[in-house]
Amino acid sequence: MDPFATLGLPRRYELDRGELEARYRELQKALHPDRHAGASASQRRMSLARAVEVNDAYRALKDDLRRAEALLSLYGGKAEPEGGAADPEFLMEVMELRESLGDAKAAGDLARVRQLADKVEAMRGAARTTLVERFGDGAADPEPVALAEASALVSRLKYFKRFLDEVSVIEEEALG
Amino acid sequence: MAYSKKVVDHYENPRNVGTLDKEDESVGTGLVGAPACGDVMRLQIRVNPETEVVEEAKFKTFGCGSAIASSSLVTEWVKGKTIDEAMALENSQIVEELNLPPVKIHCSVLAEDAIKSAIADFRKKQAARKGETGPAEGESANSAE
Repeated sequence: MDPFATLGLPRRYELDRGELEARYRELQKALHPDRHAGASASQRRMSLARAVEVNDAYRALKDDLRRAEALLSLYGGKAEPEGGAADPEFLMEVMELRESLGDAKAAGDLARVRQLADKVEAMRGAARTTLVERFGDGAADPEPVALAEASALVSRLKYFKRFLDEVSVIEEEALG
Repeated sequence: MAYSKKVVDHYENPRNVGTLDKEDESVGTGLVGAPACGDVMRLQIRVNPETEVVEEAKFKTFGCGSAIASSSLVTEWVKGKTIDEAMALENSQIVEELNLPPVKIHCSVLAEDAIKSAIADFRKKQAARKGETGPAEGESANSAE
């Protein structure tokens, strides 16, 4: 399934949120069961299936990580294999960040937790900016080299997400 | 999904959590990651260069309970083994011991990768050391025309 095609949006990583919302609402309205009350059972089933598809596509595109994964799979890019060979320096950086976060949590140093989170958010922002370039504007498929880079960047987004999820847990616990 | 008793035990009382000096020549470090879920795992061994027996093993894992338990178990297993024996370790043994469900098998794969990469790191260091003090004459003879 191509969530971009489902919502009639260009196949690119950069997202116009206003446009996404508008297309989603438009399609939702058109597919609403009330509008098909007089239709045949098979037509109603079809519009229901289509509404489910539209919902899935909307959720996939709204999320920055899932949108990247959707693009990667549309272009046939492979997810990075497990293990350490891919990018040892990056893994080391993640390990150090996770250790610092663990130390800050143990020390109850919320300012430090936030500082680390800001750093990772900045790294995530940079990765997303590069992803926009690597995936291109949707007019042509990305070159294999760009796709391989995109695949590595999508992995990075997952490490960042994991880190920031942990930050959320720490900050929520601190709020009691 | 419920964790098995053994996973919970390793998760709550992880064995050998910690760090060894990665610059030490007798220490091998394996650092691996699971891009699918964003877990990172570091496993280190201190090996006696003469006997090649693993004398100490430490790990640090940021991940789910199964990933922590898998790495904790591996550090327990490899201690006292030679690196050749440790190299023969397979993830299926971890799966069996911890009763890991199919969705958590990748955690055991990660732990296997980590120990293998730690051993490879140790061997690389040893080879480099032998290279430094080794047959330098032979090398210079080869490079001479």
